[in-house]
Amino acid sequence: MNAAVAAPRIALVGNPNCGKTALFNLLTGSRQKVANYAGVTVERKEGRLHAPSGKHYAVLDLPGAYSLNAASLDEAVTRDLIRGFYPGEAAPDLLVCVVDATNLRLHLRFVLELRALGKPMLVALNMADAAKKRGIDIDVAALQRELGVPVVETVAVRRGGADHLLATLDAVVAHPHAVADALPEGTDVHAETRRLLAATVRMPERTAKIDDALDRWLLHPVFGLSTLAVVMFLIFQAVYAWATPVMDLIEAGTTALGAWAGTMLPAGPLNSLVVEGIIAGLGGVIVFLPQILVLFAFILALEESGYLPRAAFLLDRMMAGAGLSGRSFIPLLSSFACAIPGIMATRSIQDPRDRLATILVAPLMTCSARLPVYALLIGAFIPSREVWAGINLQGLVLFALYMAGIFSALAVSWVMKKWRRDKGEHPLMLELPSYRLPNPRDVLIGLWERALIFLKRVGGIIFALTVLLWVLLSFPAAPVDATMPAIDYSFAGRIGHAMTAVFAPLGFNWQICIALIPGLAAREVAVSSLATVYALSAVDDEAAAQALTPLITNGWSLATGLSLLVWFIYAPQCLATWAAIKRETGSWKTMAMAAGYLFALAYLASFATYHVAVALGGG
Amino acid sequence: MASGLYAQYAVIVLVVMASVLIVMRSQFPAATRKLRIAMALPLLREGTPAWMKELGRRIAPKPRGGVNACGGCDNCD
Repeated sequence: MNAAVAAPRIALVGNPNCGKTALFNLLTGSRQKVANYAGVTVERKEGRLHAPSGKHYAVLDLPGAYSLNAASLDEAVTRDLIRGFYPGEAAPDLLVCVVDATNLRLHLRFVLELRALGKPMLVALNMADAAKKRGIDIDVAALQRELGVPVVETVAVRRGGADHLLATLDAVVAHPHAVADALPEGTDVHAETRRLLAATVRMPERTAKIDDALDRWLLHPVFGLSTLAVVMFLIFQAVYAWATPVMDLIEAGTTALGAWAGTMLPAGPLNSLVVEGIIAGLGGVIVFLPQILVLFAFILALEESGYLPRAAFLLDRMMAGAGLSGRSFIPLLSSFACAIPGIMATRSIQDPRDRLATILVAPLMTCSARLPVYALLIGAFIPSREVWAGINLQGLVLFALYMAGIFSALAVSWVMKKWRRDKGEHPLMLELPSYRLPNPRDVLIGLWERALIFLKRVGGIIFALTVLLWVLLSFPAAPVDATMPAIDYSFAGRIGHAMTAVFAPLGFNWQICIALIPGLAAREVAVSSLATVYALSAVDDEAAAQALTPLITNGWSLATGLSLLVWFIYAPQCLATWAAIKRETGSWKTMAMAAGYLFALAYLASFATYHVAVALGGG
Repeated sequence: MASGLYAQYAVIVLVVMASVLIVMRSQFPAATRKLRIAMALPLLREGTPAWMKELGRRIAPKPRGGVNACGGCDNCD
């Protein structure tokens, strides 16, 4: 512990989207999320660097900031930490100011601000390879001389890309350079930046021909929006087309494992727990891992490519009309993985009113935990057939469900805008990064992280809740003179039957009702719970071994299936999301309001769906 | 009841207890922390046997500290 305290502390600082987190990952071997847009890091992260010299450093990855005059919560974290005002944190021993070598006009301004603090500092010219490729010629020695601080080139996404930095680090920490003079009073930072650029950088005539050409099409009000819609649509088609073979393999593996375990274990409660509880429950969820990975492969590739900020730009008018800021886009996008990082990412929204609106609608974005539920119900009730030109009906319905979440969020924020006094809109200031080909290493790391997160949930909270549900479904045993199936006498059976008083108008049977409770911890637990409930309800072993999909296809009406699908678009489940809302807003009232309106929306929408479907003959 | 059945129930009880712990720690971390402190404190009082103190130390949650306490890994529960 003492050694840890004694290690010199290095802070990676810089404008958003300059590659700080990629450099942090390279230096520390960490695997923090990186993307090609601003605002990915909203709190400080710490890692250990073991330099080739044998020295150890503590490396801090700070949220990106355009200036030390903080305009948002995440910028304030950076400002306070650099100055040594952050509670419980000593000021760093060295600032490594990371700048995007392809965008020095923007990034050098922050370098000058940091230099004025008079702290030991080093400038990392990141993405030096991309700058060279574009013909941007930076005279590193001249820049170092002009700035009065060491300057090194880095390529954070390439192995060995920080070698120059590592070689310089020991010397800089051991013998800090003389503090460079702050700019004379009255000197304009912009003018000084222009002077530095003129003295040290030779730009090609056209730095971003490809960017300009692509942007002419991709930011076009009609063609750009059409492209966005097509990209989204193709992603959901691929989720079904590409994942199915692997899903079939996993399903067959799970069934075989259940059969094998059933024969290996002696008959009795442990056999039931393992086969009908754990294997049936977890197998029912894990089968959806390929679909989650296909979806995230596309999202990660789009993040890396630099397309997503363009999508934010395209949707800004629509979002502003609905009362959301353009800066809401990234938090809402993050919510497609999970609402919690999305809610945390709202710290980058300056306006408290916009931030609150974004927090309240973030749970409506379709998080990855909903995907297993959607996939199960779509597989059960929507036929897998081609509707037109290779378009799969199941993929189309999945696309529609995601769109329903997005448009519901816009509708809710529009209603919130009607209620507030200040109806003004805030202009969107967004840095459009250069396009780049996704780095396969970053995409693979991202996918690996998603798979680990999912498998940890399966092995942790989903496993635990499946076991507890099995206990509730198995005890107490049925009385000797029982007239109903044994499961109806269990604790869970009784709770489920009692809940139907509230949920029967939505078409939910007692099995669905009971699955909603553990779904409060994680939405996908609803799937494992249904698998366990139906495995324990089975009349014989053959029926118990059957996969969940055909069981619910035969057991539920179409109206019930559609009603449950709609329920999960709005369902306020997930205690962790509620806790995140409470933590970020500091208000129990806001948390209760979010849970209340989502429950009301879910109930009303499911009620309407069920009764319309019944009226149309789907009952 | 056959001894085999007793053994099965013993395994089930252990798995269920572990599951309760996982659910408590992931869904109610603050309450779990308070509970662990409340359980550990009586065991750590002066005069309690060494084995009880050791048990108390194991039950007690890790201290919540900034960088000065643990290096600031953000993983404290």
